[in-house]
Amino acid sequence: MKFFEYEAKQLFREAGIATAVGSEVIHYPEEIAFLKLKYPVVLKTQVLTGGRGKAGGIKFAENTSEAIEVAKYLFDLPIKGEKPQCLLIDPKAPIKKEFYLAITLDREQKCPILIGSSEGGIEIESSGSAKIVPVKGAVYSSHYGRRLAYEMGTSGKDFQVISSIVDKLYSLYEKYDLDLAEINPLAQLEDGSFIALDGKITINDDAIDRQPRFKGQLIHHLNDVSEREKRATVSGLNLVELGEGNIGILCNGAGLTMATMDLVQFKGGKPANFLDVGGGANSNKVNAALSLVATNPQVKVIFINILGGITACDQVALPLIDFKKKFPELKLVVRLLGNNQDKARELLNGTGIEFIDDLDKAVETAVSVTG
Amino acid sequence: MSVLLNKDSKIIVQGATGGMGSTHTQLMLNYGTKVVAGVTPGKGGAEVHGVPVYNTVVEAIDKTGADVSVLFVPPLLCKDAALEAICSGGIRLLIIITEGIPPLDEVKIQEAAKQAGVLVVGPNCPGVITPGECLVGIHPGSVYKPGRIGMVSRSGTLTYEVALSLTNADLGQSTCVGIGGDPVPGLGFVETLKLFENDPETDLICLMGEIGGTAEESAAELIESGEITKPVIAYIAGRTAPEGKRMGHAGAIISGDKGTVESKEKAFTKAGVKVAKLPSEMVELVKQELSKVAA
Repeated sequence: MKFFEYEAKQLFREAGIATAVGSEVIHYPEEIAFLKLKYPVVLKTQVLTGGRGKAGGIKFAENTSEAIEVAKYLFDLPIKGEKPQCLLIDPKAPIKKEFYLAITLDREQKCPILIGSSEGGIEIESSGSAKIVPVKGAVYSSHYGRRLAYEMGTSGKDFQVISSIVDKLYSLYEKYDLDLAEINPLAQLEDGSFIALDGKITINDDAIDRQPRFKGQLIHHLNDVSEREKRATVSGLNLVELGEGNIGILCNGAGLTMATMDLVQFKGGKPANFLDVGGGANSNKVNAALSLVATNPQVKVIFINILGGITACDQVALPLIDFKKKFPELKLVVRLLGNNQDKARELLNGTGIEFIDDLDKAVETAVSVTG
Repeated sequence: MSVLLNKDSKIIVQGATGGMGSTHTQLMLNYGTKVVAGVTPGKGGAEVHGVPVYNTVVEAIDKTGADVSVLFVPPLLCKDAALEAICSGGIRLLIIITEGIPPLDEVKIQEAAKQAGVLVVGPNCPGVITPGECLVGIHPGSVYKPGRIGMVSRSGTLTYEVALSLTNADLGQSTCVGIGGDPVPGLGFVETLKLFENDPETDLICLMGEIGGTAEESAAELIESGEITKPVIAYIAGRTAPEGKRMGHAGAIISGDKGTVESKEKAFTKAGVKVAKLPSEMVELVKQELSKVAA
């Protein structure tokens, strides 16, 4: 789950990392008239989508009336389709220098890494100038923070302050099971002090259940996905929509689902989505999955590919029959192999649902429907 | 000798009294696996499908002599259960089936296992099967048959898919290892390839990868170095996956230009590995390679 910038900054402050003094969060432009802001200010749209600055989501204002105009503009400006629910207003800070700090998991080294740079505003994936310090076995100690501050080329008081910010950032990273804790940029002001000018925090979705503070908040942090993807998340399903396709896919297991999408494309079709119903799918889950795929108006045919290990095929067949009655115009191509497959076949007999064992042939049939 | 397991391997099921644990204890027993003990703290003295349940892993080892443990434990309890097995002193191989373990827990599990010299397979994997001898995990035994092809994969159902095609073509398997779909796996492609290279019962290796990370690129490097002399056939899933989206598995995500199918296929092709464009093509490539070996 990604946090909005204003929430990330709240967490920074709680950990003892300074942010701009005199910030406000507004939900309506008119609120600005009642705030005591120190102008000039910067208004920042609060969205989860990346690339906000480039898309025009950050604007300056010199006085109240200008700020209200800018706020109206920003509230109406979608960033890659995502509209903000609130704006963050910060006093414009006199910046001397920008730094970059982040903590994330490194898959190759199999441990968290500290990333630092004495250049702010870089992208985490393409950070040539960044220094990296692995935290072996995820057992942190302050010497890792000092090592990073040293590698970043800092000395004197800056060295002390940056080491201690890394400590605080790591405490957040560990305490809240974060996937990413990033301060970008960490700004040094003209008076030499440091503030987190912008930041990203992502909490690991699998760990939310042991974070009582954030439990139940995921649904309010899905603004950057489609309505159907949101519904899938609350149904415990994994749906990723592809935008253009017209062949809906419902499958079990991540690898087989991806392979099925690839195969549809290989055979000349356009996959509409990735939808993994998971192992041991029961009829409720299959029902929910079918209606998600079917409510995508572009979908002309649904291809169901279930290779049962744990999944009982008859549990999948029953909701298919109900679905066919409800949506007779939607073509279903079904491949169901594994536990109780003969029972499933009997159930589907005479329902007009195509039942094909061979994967390549099944995909070809689905593709041929869309022409 | 096959890889990792054989018909004499004695298995402990941690979490045997839970729904998944109990179901798969039955299926493993049906397959002929020697499941000798279950472990659920507080349920010591119970039985699951005739298998005695103990409170601790240490007691289960003391009473049965088992040296392999498989975890069917809820994700947030897995770190403790895994560390219990690792610290018991008697477990050589730990197989973690559970999906959804927080990555920082995984880091701590893998680090402890490394220190203790315990092999970990998973998490978020279907386990290991040596067809005809031993099944530890959730593989559907019916799609496999004994033979001389080694399989290693990041995905469960994709492995079943390919295994089914191989079996239908009368090409049996020596061992199938599901290394799992998480970002911090124990045994990786590299380690598993080395096991197969040294296994006299494996002639050829099928590797099924997917987007995300660089495990496939590392495998390709190992093969290119000449350390793997047996033929390898690869397939990579996720060509149609969009950048930045997690595709089911926690580890299946393209970040920027890293972790793409193109990068992985390129690495394999450079290493002389035959890459199948479709899962069904793997069978054809296997047949071609085997005919070369025979000739």
